[in-house]
Amino acid sequence: MNAFIRKLVWLLHSSDKEAELRAELQFHLEEDAEQRQMDGLAPQEARLRALRNFGNVTLIAEDTRAVWVPVWLDQIFQELCYGLRTLRRDWAFTLAAIATLTLAIALNVTVFTVMDAILFRGAPLVKGSDRLLFIQERDPSGRCCVSYPDFEDWRSQAHAFQRMAFIADGLVVLRERQERPTDTFAFNVSTNLFRLLGVRPILGRDFVPSDEAPGAAPVAILNYRFWESRFRKRADIAGLAVQINGAPASIIGVMPDGLDFPTQGDMWVPIAHTPALLKRGLTPGSFEVVGRLRDDADLPEARTELATINRRLEADYPVTNRNLLANLFTYSAAIAGENAPRIFGSLWAGACLVLLIACANLANLSLARTISRSREFATRIALGAGRGRMVLQILSESILLAGAGGALGWWMAKWAVRTWAVATFSPYQVVDYSVNSGTLAYLAATSAVVAILVSLPPISRIVRMSLSGALRGDCRGVTEGPRGTRLARVLVVGQMAFAIVLLSGAGVLVRSFVAIVSAKTGVRDPEHVLVGSLRLPSDKYSAAEARRAYFNRLEEQLRTIPGIEREAVASTLPVSFVNLRSFEIEGRPGEQDLGFLSVGPDYFLAVGAAPAIGRGFDDRDRPAALPVAVVNESFAATFWPGEQPLGKRIRAMEQGKPGEWRVVVGVVSNIMQGDALRQRFKPLVYVPLHQEPPGRRAYLLVRAPVSQDQLARPVRAKVQKLDPDVLLGDLTTLKAHFAFDRDSMDAEHSELGKQAAVSPVFALIALLLAVVGLYAVIAQSVSQRTKEIGIRMAIGAAAEDIRKMVLRDGMLPAAIGLILGLAGSLAVNRILQSQLVSVSPYDPVTMTGAPVILISVALFACLVPARRAMNVDPAVALRHE
Amino acid sequence: MDREPTSRVELLQGTLDLLILRTLLAGPSHGHAIAQHIQWASEDVLQVETGSLYPALHRLEAKGWIEADWDLSEKGKRARFYRLTRLGRKQLVTERSKWETFSRAMGLVLNPVDEEGH
Repeated sequence: MNAFIRKLVWLLHSSDKEAELRAELQFHLEEDAEQRQMDGLAPQEARLRALRNFGNVTLIAEDTRAVWVPVWLDQIFQELCYGLRTLRRDWAFTLAAIATLTLAIALNVTVFTVMDAILFRGAPLVKGSDRLLFIQERDPSGRCCVSYPDFEDWRSQAHAFQRMAFIADGLVVLRERQERPTDTFAFNVSTNLFRLLGVRPILGRDFVPSDEAPGAAPVAILNYRFWESRFRKRADIAGLAVQINGAPASIIGVMPDGLDFPTQGDMWVPIAHTPALLKRGLTPGSFEVVGRLRDDADLPEARTELATINRRLEADYPVTNRNLLANLFTYSAAIAGENAPRIFGSLWAGACLVLLIACANLANLSLARTISRSREFATRIALGAGRGRMVLQILSESILLAGAGGALGWWMAKWAVRTWAVATFSPYQVVDYSVNSGTLAYLAATSAVVAILVSLPPISRIVRMSLSGALRGDCRGVTEGPRGTRLARVLVVGQMAFAIVLLSGAGVLVRSFVAIVSAKTGVRDPEHVLVGSLRLPSDKYSAAEARRAYFNRLEEQLRTIPGIEREAVASTLPVSFVNLRSFEIEGRPGEQDLGFLSVGPDYFLAVGAAPAIGRGFDDRDRPAALPVAVVNESFAATFWPGEQPLGKRIRAMEQGKPGEWRVVVGVVSNIMQGDALRQRFKPLVYVPLHQEPPGRRAYLLVRAPVSQDQLARPVRAKVQKLDPDVLLGDLTTLKAHFAFDRDSMDAEHSELGKQAAVSPVFALIALLLAVVGLYAVIAQSVSQRTKEIGIRMAIGAAAEDIRKMVLRDGMLPAAIGLILGLAGSLAVNRILQSQLVSVSPYDPVTMTGAPVILISVALFACLVPARRAMNVDPAVALRHE
Repeated sequence: MDREPTSRVELLQGTLDLLILRTLLAGPSHGHAIAQHIQWASEDVLQVETGSLYPALHRLEAKGWIEADWDLSEKGKRARFYRLTRLGRKQLVTERSKWETFSRAMGLVLNPVDEEGH
């Protein structure tokens, strides 16, 4: 390589090497002649002898020049120039080819970058991200989360891990001097977290172990973004005195921009070793453990080791630690679920199929070009160019096309990746979507493969070309030789098969997506309900009484807005997550974890769920009155089938102690709540807001027949006027709220939105490319067979026969591809099964819809050339050429 | 050609490079002089074809083993003089020891020392 570079430099330095070489050889000749003259020969004779002795001057010059540049390099350069000229002449072909390749390569590189980012790159800024493991503790029913004492035992006993840190998240109240306290999202972490991650603060200091010790002065390290938005990047931030949860604390540092670990938050604080934290047994909450594997340990080893420790813990603490399992997963599984490799792998495979279809199209076009240029090739071969040289020419044309497609594709992919990153942003999925040198290498490799794939069919044609036939012009003869066209049809079969696979895969994914977003929610006219989140400041509203009063006043205020039909406050919105609570149902043994909502009196009317039996809530349900509850139909059908639910009693268990009995006063129609896939109405318990107000995070709902834009302003004004410290989130309609949201999905389906958005794009591009490919092949074939068609018509074939012939010609490969593709998609769709919702991988609608779509567009693609064939005038056709 | 020596030997593949490098060890020289020197030093056994000489010189130059510069010859004509580079000197040592190993090995095979002793 080094020698090659030196050679290039040496070459560039000597611009007039040609002249120098001639002078050098001339000098040799003269020197030789002179010597011979000195030996006694006549000048004329001496010069002749010297010349004869020297040999062929031109040849020697040629041989010497060959040393300067390797011959192949020179030839490639020549062929590239030649290719450039022919491509410019065939500009229509060139543009079509480059456009196709750009699209297909950009698509492929984009999907590859996304896949790479989600599966392999790990957490941004973290050193050696691939050695990180997240650990969660669960019981066999799937309840979590890890308890702190168990974590301490893992940390001290597990040898597979270099370091281990505990992470809990939650809101803290941050107060700066005399300013208002605000809720801040903080991760409560072990003080060794940043050493484990290998990231240092850009300002201030890292945590030290003593920050975690009981009685230590509270400290916090800020997320860069929070430092920027809340503190305007003030440089003297380290050491700033603030209050955290009412206690004096200081900010000790700022982490670098882009560090969001484990997800996006405002700051990190050392975990406080409260008595509650130090209890054994699963702790509901968002606790998790992150560990860094030792260099000589691997995942299975770590898994076995933690299982062993857990068995020991089970023996020591049989009550709290029975059957607890430690689940270990990688960063990619933590952000995108265990299915991520399958999901993103299948997307990438889809993008590769699209690329292959594009290659087949181009291969076909370039095959057709080769056939029509047969005479040119044959002439060059006859004039002494080797077939290798012809292969080189085809290759260099493909390289030029793939190179242009790759370069344009690079820009497009960069844009697409950026768009993807913005469109799929989620604070719970921190991914490094940058386009880097690895991406560039992938692009280069892809373009190279494309160049080779596209050249293969024309090259095989050239290698087997009959020289004399081509020179005579057989390729424009009455019938086209079967070879080239057979290859073209095989490519069409492949394209059709791939298109069907993509169509049916996209079909089941989209239908699953639709099954979620169009599921019955039980809400009437959700487009007429305006909703918004409320966040109440902690200093005023920590007491339930204060919240009750506020929500009550808010409902009264909202009622005064003209045009409003119903208004209510609720602890959560329809379809969203719902808090679970353990309930005891009178007369039934044991407890049930049930969805639990606290709602205002008009809630049921606001969402449009009328009471089926009994009543909803009203002004009778005051704090001091009889505790009541309303259940949904699913509850009644599950626990009291065939019984009269009214008057029955239930009570919530709070921290092991039973609350008051609540009398069921009504049963309402089902409203979707707490089922991520929105397929099942779960049993729900509603309690009146006045008896048990929601927490500091609640939602308001307003039903009004007027335009939602008109309503948003007065609603916001009322909230603002009532208490400016209450934060009102964006106001949207319930319908908009029902849109797909990855963060409320379960792990298996959280990426379904992306799959459903991207796969139809693939399928449509694939279909388009395949149909254009079919059209090109048939149209080419018709134009080549003009003479044949003319003869057929002259000897009595009807236009109908000609049309049938052309249609058969095109639809046969389409049909074969269809059958192969259907068989393939039966296999491929099984891979998608775990992501599907209420749709079978062999969904009959998709499996008939996709072929129908394909066949109809294929038919259309064939009808156009068929019509042209029918209009062939025999007399003109026979004079053709 | 004239004065054709009776026992001319075809140059072995690759040996020309070694001969050129060795010739230039004595000092810079132009193509014709190099050919002359090889012929003279080998007592006319080795005759360098011009058709091999110039490609070889340019190849060595491209490899960086020799450098070329225009200078005046003894007779005051402009000639392209080749000079050994540091890299070339190193190369000469390796090539030479390789050649010596080879020729010693050839000698051993062709003239075996009879161990049983006739």
